[in-house]
Order: sequence, then C-alpha cells, then structure tokens
Amino acid sequence: MEQHLQDLYEVLSKVDGYVYPNEIELNWSILIVLYPYITGLVAGAFILASLERIFKIRILKPTYGIALLTAFSFMLVATMPLVSHLGKPLRAYEIMITPHSSSAMAIFGFVYLWYLMVVLFLEIWFDYRRDMVIWAGETTGFKRFMYRLLSLWTTDISPKSVALDNRIGYIVTVIGVPSAFLLHGYVGFIFGSIKANPWWSTVLMPVIFLFSAMVSGIALVMGIYIILSKIRRQVIDMNCLDTIARYLFYILIIDFTLEGLDQIHRIYVAEESFEALHKLVFGQLFFTLFIVQGFFGTILPLLTLGTFQFYKPRAEIRKVIYLVLSVLILIGIFFMRWNVVIGGQLFSKSFYGYTSYKVGMIGAEGYLMAAIWLIVPFLILSFLLWLLPPWKKIETDHGNLEE
Amino acid sequence: MPQHIKRLIIAFSLFLALFLVLRQVLRPESFGELGHFRAKAIPENAMRPMHYTVTDSCTKCHGGIRSEKDKGFHKNLKCEVCHGPGLKHATYAGQFKNGALPDSLKLYKPGERKDCIICHQLNAARIKIQFDTINTTMIHQIDPVKHNPGDPDTKEAFKCIDCHSPHQP
Repeated sequence: MEQHLQDLYEVLSKVDGYVYPNEIELNWSILIVLYPYITGLVAGAFILASLERIFKIRILKPTYGIALLTAFSFMLVATMPLVSHLGKPLRAYEIMITPHSSSAMAIFGFVYLWYLMVVLFLEIWFDYRRDMVIWAGETTGFKRFMYRLLSLWTTDISPKSVALDNRIGYIVTVIGVPSAFLLHGYVGFIFGSIKANPWWSTVLMPVIFLFSAMVSGIALVMGIYIILSKIRRQVIDMNCLDTIARYLFYILIIDFTLEGLDQIHRIYVAEESFEALHKLVFGQLFFTLFIVQGFFGTILPLLTLGTFQFYKPRAEIRKVIYLVLSVLILIGIFFMRWNVVIGGQLFSKSFYGYTSYKVGMIGAEGYLMAAIWLIVPFLILSFLLWLLPPWKKIETDHGNLEE
Repeated sequence: MPQHIKRLIIAFSLFLALFLVLRQVLRPESFGELGHFRAKAIPENAMRPMHYTVTDSCTKCHGGIRSEKDKGFHKNLKCEVCHGPGLKHATYAGQFKNGALPDSLKLYKPGERKDCIICHQLNAARIKIQFDTINTTMIHQIDPVKHNPGDPDTKEAFKCIDCHSPHQP
C-alpha cells in the first residue's frame, strides 16, 4: 500500500471516536511533564530551607544547606526540558532578548532569572561566603581557585561582616518565599489559563501546583538527606527527619484536600465536558491517576505519616519507611504532572473522542532524554556538595540576629 | 559599605551590563520596526517561491471542466487539491498549444483508487452522511475493500473513475 495511506492507517489506529486533526498527535510530551516537575522540586526544596531560616524551625538545620543546594541544582536544569522540547537551543536566548508582556513564557524567563540569581544564588552566597574565605585558605588548586572566584576574592570575615551577611541572607529568604510561590504558581497559571481545555482551566491550578511542588520538594530533600547520611556514614538526626516528615504530612493533607476539592467541584458542576473527562479518568488515566498518584503517591504516604504522628516504630524502620515514602511521593507527584499535562491532551475538545500517547525511548521527546534531565541535577548537586559541603560549615545560628 | 558587598554589587552590575550589551548585539536588526517582530521577516517570506495559483487561472483554458465541476459535489474544491500545485503550469503551459507539453509542466492526473480514498476512505473519526443528501460540507465515505472492489471474474480492480466522473461525481 502507498506510504501515505499506511501513515494514515497508523495515525487513525491511535484514535477513538471523533478527534480534530490537530489533536491526534500530542504536542506536549514527557519533557513538558518534566518541566513543572523540576520547577516544583526547586520551589519545594527552597520552601523547606525557608522553614529553618524564616520560620525558625531550628530542628531542620541539618537539611538547610542540602535543601538550598538541591534547589539550586534543579533550578539550573529547570528550563532544559523546555529547550530540548522546542528543539532550537540556539534560539532559546531570544525569549530574554525580545520579551513581550503578553507572553507568560517570556515573563517567566525573568521570573526564572530573578529566582536563580537574586534568591537562590544570593542566599547561598551570603550563607557560604565566610566559609568560602576560610576554605580558600585551607585548600589548594582547583578548589582554592573556585572558592576565591566564588567569594569574589574577598577576605573580610570579621564578626561584623558575617552578621551583615546573615541579615542580608535573611532578607533574601523573605523575598525568596513569595518568589518561590510565584515561580511555581506561574507554572500552574500557564495550564490554568488555557480556557479551551476543561481539564486544565481552573483557578485552583496554580495553588494545586504550588502545594504539590512543596510536597515533592520536601520529599526529595528528605530522601537526599537519608541517602547522603548513609553515604557519609553519619548518624541521621531522627528529630530532624521526623519534623520534615511532619511538615510533609501537613502539606500533603492540604495538597490532597485541594486536589479533592478540584475534583469534587468538577463533579458537582458537571459541565458539558464532564462526561468526556469522566471517561478519560476511568479509562486511559485510571492507572496513573488512581493507582500511582492517588494510592501510592498520596493515600499510602498520608496513612503512614499519619500513623507516625501517634505511633512511632524503631528509628531504623522509620528511616527505611521515610526513604520509601519519599520515593513513592516523588513518583506520585511526577504522575500528577503527567495526568495534568498528558491527560489534558488525550481527549478531543469536541468531547466526542480520544487520542492516545505512547512515550518512546530514543529521540528528542523520548524517555531517555527525560531521564538525562533528571540525572543531570543530581550530578550538579554532587559537585556542589563536594565544593560546598554544608556539614563542614561553621555553625551559625540564623536566629540570633533577627530576634 | 563593606568590601564584599561592593564587590557583589560590581559583579551584579557587570552581569546586568553584559545582559544589556548582549541584548543590543543579539536583537535582530529590524526588530520592532513594524511591531513586536522582525520587520525583515515579511520581505524574506515574500521572496519565497510560489507554487499555487487561483482556480480562475485554470478556468482560462479549462473552462468546460470548471462549469462541469461547479454542478457537483466537488464544486468547492480547488483544482489543485487533486492536481497539485499549478502555478508553473498556469504560467507557461499556454506556450505549448500542440500537446507537446514538457514533463516538468504536466500536472498530476489522479485516477487510481488510492487517489480517491485519501478523502473518501471510511473513517470512524469523521461524521457520516446520508448518500441521498447533497451536502458539500461533509465527505462521502466508502470502505474501499467492500465498495466494488473489482470484476468478480477477471479479479481486475475497478477504478473509481470507471463509474464516477471526478469533476462531477
């Protein structure tokens, strides 16, 4: 048979019912799933760090540095899924050169830069400056050069200058919290403002994205802290871990409630799209929504963390369970992004049909590409932890100055 | 002001200055002249070679076919939908009156089953219509396997145009 007819057969075999021609192929693939996922991890990790810094939860001290460096590593990679999805890396800078106020994406370029440079970079810089000056004196070669360069060849480590660093660091964090909310709220905003798509178009979307971001970021830092302590053969501060788990529990409750509210609202309002979405949810999204995101990613961690609030098993067991939960939550939130991004494209806007999506392995939109952008932040984090180990820092009590 | 704050401000100022310089350098030359886009994109696109023409230029020589077509289901189709881009043909074919048209100017003459089922293939995703209504906004669909597949004796496949005139199906 002729090639184009074969292609047509292949395309139509993916479709069920009536679908507009431009809905057969999904334009937003797994890389666009990854993009809100990674930005969410950044925002969540930063908010965990700010709990220690602004809300003065001292017990979280051991994870403060890890959380900041994690946020920074993931932030450096946050735009890469977008760049590789668009496939024109040499044009990527144009969004910053010729921005337009009517383009949410262009404005995001500046939100991103603000968050990366003014919030994360400055906070880490002020937090590490004194240590970098000291380390520059103790090390040689590449490390010494890096410390000198990063501390901008400063040498002043008088108590007065350190106190100033702390104060500015505090102000930066105060600015950082709304910035983190803005950063991730924006990602939800992009989806929430697509009026033509009933699966996305809800004002709750930015809020839901924000809380799921916090959940995933906190779970990530919790997992990294456990693994890092294991690698470094250090005793895990169980009080710290339990506190993180408690905050994770609280935020998970809010996240679960908000998502439940969103669904209940959909069911109650039952707009014209309801039947199509109902079929979608119980059809193609059943596994990723109910089993992975709902049960393994939300209900199971909620029940376990809830049980831990009044019954705590031995520390050894708790540690393992926390690690497993952190992985489950991370997978669950990934599939929350999946259900939003992919789910929103699976049904026809005519509400009469469905298309299907199968992620390939190789190619610019394959899962190998996605895996690369998930591994790279961990490589950056390993480098940063080697260069700026939070556990070698001189203890500063962030609380003394502001009180 | 402490030394390290000064240096930090210098570093950020350098960064900002670099950004502003790069912005000037990298901004396309004609950007913003006519609106929020590169003004030169318009002449650049206008310079691209054209391939298609308008149906009226076909009618100049093939008026008979046009009037035939205007009476049937295909009245809203451009000639080029089936015959392919025809600007070159419409411009130069008039010089070759005596049938000696070079191959490069010849247009595609669809006549096989495969040509018709590009549009008329049974397709679950398309809305079905009744055959007795004359409606040019929807497309008749047939199952090419079952719809008069061929002569039962000689097994020779029928062509669609054996029964249907393509200009007035």
